[in-house]
Amino acid sequence: MQLAGKRAFVTGGRQGIGRAIVDAFTAEGAAVTTCGRGARPEEISEHVIWYDLDVTDAEAVAQMAYTTDGTDILVNNAGVQVEKTVPDSTDADWDAVIGTNCKGVFNMCRAYIPTMPKGGVILNIGSISGRFADPSMALYNASKAFVHGLTRSIAVDHGPNLRCNAICPGWINTGMLEAGFDLARDPQTARADALARHPVGRFGEPRDVAAMAVWLASDAASFATGQMFTVDGGMTAASPINPGLF
Amino acid sequence: MRLAGKTALITGARGGIGRAIVARFLREGADVYAADLSEDGSLPGQVSEGRFIKLDVTCEADAIAAMARVGDEAGKLDILVNAAGIEIEKTIEETSLEEWNRSFAVNVTGTFLACKYALPLLRAAAKDGITSSVINFGSYDGFIADPGLAAYCATKGAVHALTRAMACDHGPEGIRVNAICPGYIDTPMMQSFLTGDGVGGDGKSVETMKQAMRDVHPMRTYGTPEDIANLVTWLASDEARYAAGQLWVLDGGLSAQVQQMKL
Repeated sequence: MQLAGKRAFVTGGRQGIGRAIVDAFTAEGAAVTTCGRGARPEEISEHVIWYDLDVTDAEAVAQMAYTTDGTDILVNNAGVQVEKTVPDSTDADWDAVIGTNCKGVFNMCRAYIPTMPKGGVILNIGSISGRFADPSMALYNASKAFVHGLTRSIAVDHGPNLRCNAICPGWINTGMLEAGFDLARDPQTARADALARHPVGRFGEPRDVAAMAVWLASDAASFATGQMFTVDGGMTAASPINPGLF
Repeated sequence: MRLAGKTALITGARGGIGRAIVARFLREGADVYAADLSEDGSLPGQVSEGRFIKLDVTCEADAIAAMARVGDEAGKLDILVNAAGIEIEKTIEETSLEEWNRSFAVNVTGTFLACKYALPLLRAAAKDGITSSVINFGSYDGFIADPGLAAYCATKGAVHALTRAMACDHGPEGIRVNAICPGYIDTPMMQSFLTGDGVGGDGKSVETMKQAMRDVHPMRTYGTPEDIANLVTWLASDEARYAAGQLWVLDGGLSAQVQQMKL
């Protein structure tokens, strides 16, 4: 029970990575509160508290920080992805991606930092896309680089009291991954090719990211702060050129 | 003539990239010493036999003798380019200790020895606000791995760290130390990587593999030795007087992207 006695707040807990973090934190003994837009998902553990929250709404976020005062672990997981180049991106796309991925994370951090006890932990979900560009994901790539920069800033500014790190997932089996393959001319070939580029021989699962989140949130990671932790099955350790796949 | 009046020494001068640097430096007006282990084959550009130095970069006595000669003849060295390098195309399991040691001897120790014995001459060139310039050869493989190049990747990572360390130690003396980290460049070394063991060619022609390789680059091509010589020239010139301690990746955008899937 690595998180016994801790209170955690996870944004975007309805599905995918956020949901896996909620489940893993609960299993490790944390009291978990999570949120999303809309009603509580039916199958979520009865021990988890659910709020309907739009992280882009600064006032609602401030109210939530007051309501959940004393949160030890804040996980900024809520994020959206739009698969477009710069000229194709609309104002609505900008508002959606930057609103949630950048302003949402900022709103949460601004509201929660003053309320968090000494020893608190902020975990942001960045991405390998913030370090290297995925094609046709311009705003998403840029939004994740923002998350990485904000992570370092919070770690530096609030160092003695809080730790702040980011996890950079690679290709994780979620709806977002399927959306990526749907862009391919031949989704089946794309899937096989992508798999071959993972030294571990599989895509990530949400629980792989959750496992890193548990460690970073736990006291075992008390010297880890200001860093990006990549969990991608080894994909970005290798060059994009792989003659074996030509 | 951006390098007029400057004395330069280039190691690996008979290699793919070394030759292009020598030819370009001569056109830019530098006094060029071309150093190489091999005495076979033509010298690059219009370099005269008298400006060739036989140099085994792994041999301390050779390095001392080469710098002594430059000191006697020119009295200073403005530019040192450490372009000598070898690539063993194997995983660590297949790599013998001898091959591992040889990789480090040429790529890392060779850079160390040339720099160590060039320092008094580099100091002599750096005065009155003019800087001298050391250009090492790292690789994008020092950041991310190519399959089956383990020892090579490790040596290039070592060159990157040595570059930063030297820049810290010798910047105050007016000596700038940088590394260029090429991606795929059309050289004999790349040809060997494409046709060598363990690259999974599956009987495909080298041209097919080259086209596939071009397609992976955002610029849709791999580089030429002249592309590298362009950057070496800039780093060697006075225009780059504020450039120090950096690892300059030149790879057609290759390493900016996530692995490019067949989409």
